[in-house]
Amino acid sequence: MHEFSIAEALAAQVLAHAPAGARVRGIEIVVGALRGLEPDALRTCWDAVTFGTPMAGSTLEVDLRPWSIRCSSCGREWSSPVPFVACLCGNSTPAPVGGDELDLVAITVDEGGT
Amino acid sequence: MSEPARTLRLPMVERVLEANDEIADETRDELARRGIFAIDLIGAPGSGKTALLEATLQLLKGRRRPAVLVGDLATRRDGDRLARWCDQVVQISTGEGCHLEANQVRDALRQVDLEGVDLLFIENVGNLICPVGFDLGQTAKVGMFSLTEGDDKAAKHPYLVTAADLLLLNKIDLAPHLSFDRVGFEADVRLLNPRVPMLEVSATSGQGLERWIAWIDRASVARASAARGQALG
Ligand SMILES: Nc1nc2c(ncn2[C@@H]2O[C@H](COP(=O)(O)OP(=O)(O)O)[C@@H](O)[C@H]2O)c(=O)[nH]1
Ligand SMILES: [Mg+2]
Ligand SMILES: [Zn+2]
Repeated sequence: MHEFSIAEALAAQVLAHAPAGARVRGIEIVVGALRGLEPDALRTCWDAVTFGTPMAGSTLEVDLRPWSIRCSSCGREWSSPVPFVACLCGNSTPAPVGGDELDLVAITVDEGGT
Repeated sequence: MSEPARTLRLPMVERVLEANDEIADETRDELARRGIFAIDLIGAPGSGKTALLEATLQLLKGRRRPAVLVGDLATRRDGDRLARWCDQVVQISTGEGCHLEANQVRDALRQVDLEGVDLLFIENVGNLICPVGFDLGQTAKVGMFSLTEGDDKAAKHPYLVTAADLLLLNKIDLAPHLSFDRVGFEADVRLLNPRVPMLEVSATSGQGLERWIAWIDRASVARASAARGQALG
């Protein structure tokens, strides 16, 4: 399950960015369609990996980017959660294009509480 | 006096696998410096990755000087199979890991005498999804599908299809016995990746392997001259 490795890499990265002593409340990541990541599986791994750390209990927000579909017959372009879809014009094989980004885009922390 | 906690949102843009990618880039530089063409072979368990490498090592004997890294969950069997044909084989036991990562490849390469090696095969852990996103420092990614897996596997694994520099369709010797739709399979591949070369091969009968060997030789030469161009430019 690559979700586990990704959760581990993410935890190390978040810890490196969080100000000392801060409690991490939330993480936001952007994931391209090509990655084939399961947000629920990733969240389960995130909870396991962050247990007992300053990130424990934080929410992991996954912005799963859709596929861009382009129909070569009629030129229509739209986005879709699945890669293989038919076009309204009748073309059953428009080309799917997906991104492979996997980026940490924000960390929300509670800082300086005493 | 106690102070209330302040909630701060810190925006940033950083690749999650940056640490892995940095190690991979170091490996890629090192291999390029030594003129080693490195292939990351990715395919499902049982698709024939080890069988292909066994046949390939025999065909390359006396012509190229290969080394092999083999990722496997638990056993040393693949490594032992390959060691019959190549004296530079390192087995990487990944335990639970469903893919190789750059640090494992870097560490395994320390056990190889790279002096005189000009070709590196990395048999990734059998899996069509997880290995694709982890850069190892390879020069080329080769995706392997096989007839026994069914003709829907390219469509179900778009990341491998789009990321591959070459796709192999193995076990082509079984075509008469299976109802694998090769035209439909290729059409799915073309939708995702219009340009990737595809070769039909059989690791066990040897069918199509001369074209696979020719691809390796051509790609190594193209890579080496690109690297020279870069060094000059
Ligand atoms: N008929 C046929 N069998 C093959 C071919 N390639 C591999 N096999 C068989 O498929 C099984 C799995 O092969 P192996 O190389 O261990 O697959 P790996 O898990 O991808 O490394 C073995 O029994 C091989 O003999 C092929 O081209 N044709
Ligand atoms: Mg194998
Ligand atoms: Zn259309």
